[in-house]
Amino acid sequence: MFIENLRRACVAVTCVSLLSVAMPLPAQAAIVTTDRAVALEQRGAYVGTITAALARDDVRNRMVALGVDPAAIEARLGGLTDTELAMLAERINNAPAGGDALAVIGIVFLVLMILEFTGVIDIFKNV
Amino acid sequence: MARASLWLPPTLILLTWLSGCASVAPLGSMLPPGGPSRVELLDTPFFPQEDHQCGPSALATVLEASGSPARPEQLVAEVYLPGREGSLQQELLAATRRRGRLAYVLSGEADALLAEVQAGRPVLVLQNLGVDAYPIWHYAVLIGFDAQRNDVILRSGRQQRLLMSWSRFEGSWRRGGQWAMTVLPPGTLPARPSLPAYLDACAGLEAAGMLDAAAAAYAAASQRWPRSSLVELGTGNVAYARGDLRGAVAAYQRGIDLSPSDAALRNNLAQALLDSGCVGRARVEARQAAELARGTLLETDVRETLESVEAAAASRGPSASCPDAAQGDGDAQPLSLPHEPAARTRDR
Repeated sequence: MFIENLRRACVAVTCVSLLSVAMPLPAQAAIVTTDRAVALEQRGAYVGTITAALARDDVRNRMVALGVDPAAIEARLGGLTDTELAMLAERINNAPAGGDALAVIGIVFLVLMILEFTGVIDIFKNV
Repeated sequence: MARASLWLPPTLILLTWLSGCASVAPLGSMLPPGGPSRVELLDTPFFPQEDHQCGPSALATVLEASGSPARPEQLVAEVYLPGREGSLQQELLAATRRRGRLAYVLSGEADALLAEVQAGRPVLVLQNLGVDAYPIWHYAVLIGFDAQRNDVILRSGRQQRLLMSWSRFEGSWRRGGQWAMTVLPPGTLPARPSLPAYLDACAGLEAAGMLDAAAAAYAAASQRWPRSSLVELGTGNVAYARGDLRGAVAAYQRGIDLSPSDAALRNNLAQALLDSGCVGRARVEARQAAELARGTLLETDVRETLESVEAAAASRGPSASCPDAAQGDGDAQPLSLPHEPAARTRDR
C-alpha cells in the first residue's frame, strides 16, 4: 500500500514537472518579434501570443491525428512562424499537400479530362 | 498513332477555344530581358520520388542545389504528413530554415520563376495536376526552359528530365496557387528581391532559431534596402536574441532614425536598454512607444514594457550605468556596430 502511494506520488510529481516544462514560457521579455512587426505592417494584423500558443497545441494534436510520430513533432514545429502556425491550425486538413503525380494515369486521366471540361465551363459561366 | 494524330488537332482547337479566355502568353514574352533564352541547370541533383513523396524529393533537390546536403529519406520524417499523403508548403519552408537556409517564396508572377532559373537556382513549384474541384497537388523542381520551343524542363516524380509545354506548366502552376520557393544561402538575394517576401523569409529563420543565418540575411537586406526600418528591427531582434544588447540598441536606434514614429522599434529599444541597466533612457523610449501605440494593436505589448520599465525605475532609480546614452538619441552613428562582423558568420 505504501509502495503504491509512493508510486502515485512519483507519477504525480513527474506529471507536474513535465507539464511545467511543456508550458510555454511567458513571451521572451516584451520584444515585438519580427514576424509580428512584418505581419502588422503588411497585413495590418498579427497573431497574438495566446493565439499562437493555442495554435501550436492545435497543430500538434492534428499532426498526431494525421499519423506523425509524436516524438518528431516538436522539431517539425520549430521553424514555423506564429503566422504560419495559426494558418496551419485552421487549414492543416485541407491546405494543399503535394503528394503524387503518379496517379494521373489511364481512367483517372480520362475522368480528369471530363472534370477539366466541366471546370472550364464553370469558369465560362462566371465570366 | 495515326488515329491519335487525327484526333489531336480538333481536340487542341476545342481545348484552345474553351480555354481562350485564359490563354497563356508565350514563355519568350515573360523572359526578363538581358538573360539567356534557353537554360538548363544540368548540375541539379535528382532524387526519384517514392510513393506520395514528391515533397521530400523536390525539397532535397533544391536544398542540395543550394549547397546544403539533404536526402529525401531524412526529409520524410520532417515534412511528410501520412494522413494527407503529401507535404504542406509551410513544412517545406520550415525544414529549409532549420538547415540555416533562407526559404524565399517567389511572387506569383511567372517571370519571377524564370529569373531565378536564369540566375542559376532551381525553383520548387507547387502544381495542381488536377482541376480546382478535384486537385492533385504535386511538387516539382523547375530546372530549365527554352523560349524558342516554348517549354520548360522539370525534375518531377520519377522523371529526371520532364519536358512540359509552357502553357501546360503555367496552367498547372496557376491552379496550384502560383506558389514557388527558392533556397538561398543566407547573405544571397533572390534575382527579383521583394522586401516583404524577403522579410518573411528572414523572420522564418529567426523562428527556427538560426540566428547566425538570420544575421547574415539581414546584413544583405540592409545593403539592398538601406532605408527599411523593418530590416533594422530584424537586425536588432537577432542581436537581442544572441544576447548582444549593444548591437540590438544600435540597430533599433538606426531603425528609429529611419522611422521615428515606429512603436515596435521604440518598444524593443526600451526593452534592450532596460536589460542593459539603462533604466532612465529605457523609460523615455517606453513612454514614447506607449504614446505612439495608443489605439493600435501593439498597445498591450507596449504597455507591458512600460510597466516593467516603470517598476525597474521605482526599485533601482534611473541608472547612471548607461554605456551609450551619452551619445544621445537620434545620433546618426550612435555606436560602433558590434553585430556586423558577426553577421558574416554563417550556420553550417
